[in-house]
Amino acid sequence: MKKFFARSFDQIALIVDATDHFFKLQNIDPSLRTSVDLCIEELFVNMVNYNTETQREILLEMEPVNGGIEVSLTDYDVERFDPTTPRDINIDAPLAERSPGGLGVYLVLKMVDSIHYEYHDRQSKITFQIKRGKI
Amino acid sequence: MFSIDFNDQGQVAMTGRLDAAQAATAQAFLDQVSGECILNLAELEYMSSAGLGVLLKTHKRLMSGSSGLKLVNVNSHINDIFRYSGFDKLFDISLLQK
Repeated sequence: MKKFFARSFDQIALIVDATDHFFKLQNIDPSLRTSVDLCIEELFVNMVNYNTETQREILLEMEPVNGGIEVSLTDYDVERFDPTTPRDINIDAPLAERSPGGLGVYLVLKMVDSIHYEYHDRQSKITFQIKRGKI
Repeated sequence: MFSIDFNDQGQVAMTGRLDAAQAATAQAFLDQVSGECILNLAELEYMSSAGLGVLLKTHKRLMSGSSGLKLVNVNSHINDIFRYSGFDKLFDISLLQK
């Protein structure tokens, strides 16, 4: 599956629909679904929020892999931003010291079985695989 | 699809999916709440970090008045998100009974 989505949070519902269709079509284990939805949303939102120098649509690709799913998101005409670098989030901090910043990517890194980042020709591509549902 | 409103017991009930597209709606509603607030998540299917941000901001505001958010009927998917993000240590949470 290859599909482009505009840079808007309104597209998240369409992404969920496309993911639902793909899971059913490819008979992918439904227990992976929530983890996959979460990772796609967090990475898509990150691209929309931080890669503001472009209006180009974001490409979402999915394919079945042995025992799971591989998903890629590609952002065009943007600066390098590697979300696979581990984030230093203190989840044990007291309420007064907590902020939601960085939690999205932190959760992605907890959900995936593998993740890979490529950057070339101003194209930023993130690919992850999920073979076991974590949530 | 997402909705937020008071239920018959005076709790705030969320339904559907609380994602980045819906976070502003949830925040606007919760900004109007004062005192101790029970958030009933029995019909909430999904929450991303945008939703966590809404809960955190609201909890901090209410805690400054010595009350806070209490989360009830939390499903296992959302409770896992709470555990991964450390929110299980910040909130009073009770799980959805099957």
